[in-house]
Amino acid sequence: MNIPRILELLQEVLPAARLEVQTVPIDEHFISLPPDNLHAAVRALLERSDVYHLSTITGQDLDGQIELLYHFWQGGGLTLRTGLPRDRARIETITDLIPGASFYEREIAEMLGVTFLGHPDPQPLFLPEDWEGDPPLRREFALPEEREEGE
Amino acid sequence: MSTRITIPIGPQHPLLKEPLSFMITVEGERVVDSALRLGYVHRGIERLCQTKTYVQNLHLFERVCGICSHVHTTAYCQGVEALLGLEVPLRGLYLRTLLCELERVHSHLLWLGVLGENIGFQTIFMYAWRDREIALDIMEELSGGRVTHSGNVIGGVRIDVGDAQFSSIVSRLNDLEQRVEKLLGVIQHERTLRVRTQGIGYLSPEEIRRYCVVGPVARASGVDVDLRRDCKYAAYGRLHVNVALAHEGDVWARTLVRAREAIESLRLCRQLLVGLPEGPTRVRAPRRVPPGEVVSRAEAPRGELLYYIRSDGSDKPARVKIRTPTLTSLITVHDQLEGVETADVSVVLSGIDLCIACVDR
Repeated sequence: MNIPRILELLQEVLPAARLEVQTVPIDEHFISLPPDNLHAAVRALLERSDVYHLSTITGQDLDGQIELLYHFWQGGGLTLRTGLPRDRARIETITDLIPGASFYEREIAEMLGVTFLGHPDPQPLFLPEDWEGDPPLRREFALPEEREEGE
Repeated sequence: MSTRITIPIGPQHPLLKEPLSFMITVEGERVVDSALRLGYVHRGIERLCQTKTYVQNLHLFERVCGICSHVHTTAYCQGVEALLGLEVPLRGLYLRTLLCELERVHSHLLWLGVLGENIGFQTIFMYAWRDREIALDIMEELSGGRVTHSGNVIGGVRIDVGDAQFSSIVSRLNDLEQRVEKLLGVIQHERTLRVRTQGIGYLSPEEIRRYCVVGPVARASGVDVDLRRDCKYAAYGRLHVNVALAHEGDVWARTLVRAREAIESLRLCRQLLVGLPEGPTRVRAPRRVPPGEVVSRAEAPRGELLYYIRSDGSDKPARVKIRTPTLTSLITVHDQLEGVETADVSVVLSGIDLCIACVDR
């Protein structure tokens, strides 16, 4: 994977953002983007580079924000990182570009309470229909034994 | 005018080995629509692991899957080792890879048996599962466990191959290779099997790319991806991996690819045993992991497996994300089922090698 070339391409598509590459093990390159630019960045990767394989999307609840990591792979790893505010966690879907992202987005939607705008089938995938309470990967969600300890 | 009928398959159904729910809409004999629902064996592993130490999690992640348990700990261990900056001794890497390949043989033979049973070809089910015992016996001898081996530790492996075991294992591998060659002949020439699998569940290379499908399903549609060759993790950098490819894109091609892969895995096992370097099998690992993130990938029997691990400096991971390969092929089931006859639904479902425990986590 030609990381300098990809950085150049993304910078050209998103002139307002200041992009930097952070290298982490094992052969993975992270580029942080504002959430509004993510869709355009993925489109640029698909249309103007050889990257097409989205391995998965990781969602995690960090201090103050919900972070999404879009892990791509093409002979090396590329991850696009973006952060959403915890109280208004919403982002445009990329299923129109990569239909394979559908299940990953549905999982993050139910596990972290993120809304993917324009997702064609935004139903729960893993959780029961009658699930009540916080999304299970949010910090406020406590496991049953943790709840007992707290009481 | 024909009527549409919706048939539920699952969550509890004799066809399925594990619970998942398919609602299949048929018009006469043809499937016109399908809907999928997962989560019936969801164990909340990604949340649970945040309350366990890195060492305890080794045993938790081994239980994500009851077939490819070793590759899960392989991906997890190499991630944690990267965060710790540990260099695993070469002998440890070779033995780790040996278990990975034996596991692939056992997984592919198990799958071949399941396919045989689902198409009513009981003979191949009996033969494949009989021969699979050889791989299970070798793994049991090496680790003490048939499917959950606890072979990996952070920093290496806890198994070893003695001189006395060496020749016995190699001769059994040779025997198994001959048996799998025979099964491959059956797949290529037996008319019953071809009629039931050819042209069923077709996926084009474009569909594979759009849905980001991995593993044998992708390779059976001519998409040449294999992390053992492309990522060179564990000891694969020192081996020459021949990637099995087919271009038909149907269930028959997936059967061929998996059988050829099993033969290639047996060849790799011999190569690993013959070239096994001397030295220690593991190094000691500290309990606390410095802050950082890692993305670890490995080629499971069903394709690319991904572990994302983030450490906050404590002895417990702050986040572990697991993406198992079956999830990628499940997305394609809707397309694969459209227009097939109801009798072929089980063939399509077998073709992608479902592992629901993996998908649900």
